[in-house]
Amino acid sequence: MQLNPFTLKQFKLSTFVITPVLTLVLMLALTLAFLPNAVNAKSIAITNATVYTVASQGILEQATVVMDEGKILAVYAAGDAPEQFDTDEILDAKGRILTPGFIASMNSLGLVEVGAVARTRDGSDEKADITFDASLAFNPKSTLIPYARKGGITNNIVAPESGEGLFAGQTFAVNLSGEFNSIIAKKNAVLIYLGSENKGSRAQKLQLLDNKFADAIKKSAKKNGQKKNKKDEEAPALKRKEQVINALLAGEKPLLAYADRATDLLALLALKKKYAIDLILVGASDAVLVADEIADANVPVILSSVDNLPSSFDSLHGSLTNMAILAKAGVKLMLMTKGDSHNINQLRFDAGIAVANGLSKTDAFLALTANVADVFKLNTGRIVAGKNADLVLWSADPFEISSKVDLMWINGKSVSTQSRQDALRNRYTKQTNMPRAYSN
Amino acid sequence: MYKTSIKLSLIITVMSLSLTACLPNEKQDAKVTINKNPYPSTYQALPQQNTLFTNATVLTGTGERLDNADVLIVDGKIKQVAKGIIATDTVIVDATGKWLTPGIIDVHSHLGVYPSPGVESHADGNEMTSPNTAEVWAEHSVWPQDPGFQAARAGGVTTLQILPGSANLFGGRGVTLRNIPSQTMQGMKFIDAPYGLKMACGENPKRVYGSRKQLPSTRMGNVAGYRSAWLAATEYKRAWDKYNSDYALGENPQAPKRDLELDTLMGVLAGEILIHNHCYKAEEMAVMIDLGKEFNYHSGTFHHGIEAYKIADELAQNGNCVAMWPDWWGFKMEAYDMVEENVAIVDAVKNSCAIVHSDSSTTIQRLNQEAAKVLYRANDNGFNLKVEQAITWITANAAKSLGINDKTGTLEVGKNADVVLWSANPFSVYAQAEQVFIDGAKVYDRFDEKYQAKSDFLLGQE
Repeated sequence: MQLNPFTLKQFKLSTFVITPVLTLVLMLALTLAFLPNAVNAKSIAITNATVYTVASQGILEQATVVMDEGKILAVYAAGDAPEQFDTDEILDAKGRILTPGFIASMNSLGLVEVGAVARTRDGSDEKADITFDASLAFNPKSTLIPYARKGGITNNIVAPESGEGLFAGQTFAVNLSGEFNSIIAKKNAVLIYLGSENKGSRAQKLQLLDNKFADAIKKSAKKNGQKKNKKDEEAPALKRKEQVINALLAGEKPLLAYADRATDLLALLALKKKYAIDLILVGASDAVLVADEIADANVPVILSSVDNLPSSFDSLHGSLTNMAILAKAGVKLMLMTKGDSHNINQLRFDAGIAVANGLSKTDAFLALTANVADVFKLNTGRIVAGKNADLVLWSADPFEISSKVDLMWINGKSVSTQSRQDALRNRYTKQTNMPRAYSN
Repeated sequence: MYKTSIKLSLIITVMSLSLTACLPNEKQDAKVTINKNPYPSTYQALPQQNTLFTNATVLTGTGERLDNADVLIVDGKIKQVAKGIIATDTVIVDATGKWLTPGIIDVHSHLGVYPSPGVESHADGNEMTSPNTAEVWAEHSVWPQDPGFQAARAGGVTTLQILPGSANLFGGRGVTLRNIPSQTMQGMKFIDAPYGLKMACGENPKRVYGSRKQLPSTRMGNVAGYRSAWLAATEYKRAWDKYNSDYALGENPQAPKRDLELDTLMGVLAGEILIHNHCYKAEEMAVMIDLGKEFNYHSGTFHHGIEAYKIADELAQNGNCVAMWPDWWGFKMEAYDMVEENVAIVDAVKNSCAIVHSDSSTTIQRLNQEAAKVLYRANDNGFNLKVEQAITWITANAAKSLGINDKTGTLEVGKNADVVLWSANPFSVYAQAEQVFIDGAKVYDRFDEKYQAKSDFLLGQE
């Protein structure tokens, strides 16, 4: 367990009797030694919670979750918990629901502040290609992040927007702590947008993609051949773009493909089979037409639950029941919100809408947590010992509009859901005789 | 000279006397009138069924909640709302455990004018060729086969106003429709609903026209544009008023030259057409209120009103309705100061008229949930709002904004029987509209395919 405040106080007091120089050195040492921990979390035992583990333990009533050093230390079913906890804090959940923090995906969180203000947008670039790493532009101080926390979202997959080339760039994973160290993984998937084109044919991109893989395989075969002949010579370093293609071919990172029409989805499944790439479908409006094929190929799908209108000829089969149909077919689902990044806190309501239209609650929770964590290899998304302590304590059913986040933790550290919106609301609901600008 | 002038004046007197005497029959040209309803509604209610809903939780739209109550609809009207109603020759719907509300009304929709699929050939919602296109009417762009109408009906929407887009200072007329399937716009048109005129403040007009190096490129340019138009409209109306009064006096005046743009603006000045003003910011809404006073018209309903909470008192004092999203924000600078309690803060003022609108083919399907977000977020933060108040934001207040509150928007006796039967409390994420009635006719049933209309567009698509 961590140093408790009392010990720290004692230690500080004792420095008074030491020489000033030593004090300074000690203070510095103290700062260096304990600052990361001070920023980090207290150890906490949450007792009497209804724990949605999203793991083999299912839902545990009157359960206890212990977190320390930013990780989940133990999960105890009712009656299994020790009588006393040696933690900094014990929190009685009073039966409330504790879930893993939700994981949003495929948005520009931290890359955009105001949609129509070009100089606050960093999600796309004319020159962006397969190597584009937008994480360099990620702003953890964006006002969108505390607002998103209101939706119980603790982690997010940030995606670049559609580029002009074949690939839009690469995604990255962040937590929503708002800290400068909130990027978890950079360049964790390659993004491509396929389907109908304003100019030209959809076939062109599919063909290019196939050729990229074929050429890379050919090149590496040739290079291997050369190596055998000229053992002394170093092979020329691969171009950066080629390295990414090879990473896809080696299954080191997945290809995230936006596509809607069934023919595009099938073409992607064929590429997966041909090159053994790790494929994730995004959008996939027509997925219900080829649900069995997608399930058989073990390809996960990221989709919105509310995309039920035929917005284009690529998406004539949208329905509020699609998630339920895909889940029944055995497709691994991840839920994303429709629209821009400012309202991703809607994720939980979108899950509720999917449940109202036939998706099981179990599958809905998976689509918000464990499935995303598994696909993007994040150590979160379940309430299991060893996972990051990304947890949300809810006032009631997390999918209901009437519920709210009571408490939440990211890496074991308590985080607030207060946002700029709350500050504005407080200012304008106060009684005052002075202009509002004087109120905080 | 002297004699002559007496003679002349005599002649003139005689002439004018004779003119007055025989004008109505002989010397007056036919009166020129403006046909104010050239595309009249052909709407007819679908087959009506007298229905008694029993034992429901009823939100009347008047701010009341009645538990275990019955609602009787007869001949397309609300006949009775009470406990233990006994009626014969009616279909009886056991609504035990279910909720009943007035039909949902969306004051801000682009269904039909920006339909699905969103192909270029369908982008008919905004005539972005001049900052003042008061002459265009959204009804002339409505594609009744937009599948969005069916989806909205499944969400309980019985009435909706279709507005032009917001690129122009004056975007044109909006039209209020009944949400029934029809081959024609006229077949959906709400009988006797007043027209709306779409105006737009702020970023959109100045961006669209400023980028073309023409007025407006600034917010002050926007206001100059409105004022010039209202000046012209004032002159136009004066000319028509003079023509009409001179004609009534028996003279034979020359009718003013018709101008479609000014016809619409004159309709506003005459109080016949209601203003629907896309306007986000507090300071701009305050200017638009004064603009209305300057030219003697009412500034109507503010749409989007992201910052309405900053001037809630002024808006209520001036009798403005404000139609708002629960939580959209940040897509542009003028939408940056969103608060989730906006609707609740506006609603809390006496004589206010707070509305939740969609402006979206997605959220129009769940306006009940959009209202729920306001209700619960406000209650999380010190408000004490009840479901019976929250329902007024998507029913009665919306009807008031559209000038149809004498016909729909509440479950008061005598009103049109526009009714939604919900599977549960409509402010729950799990609630579904099970049956929807317009003028006493069932237009949607979640469990009966006979009452699930499908657009021509989706027919035969595999």
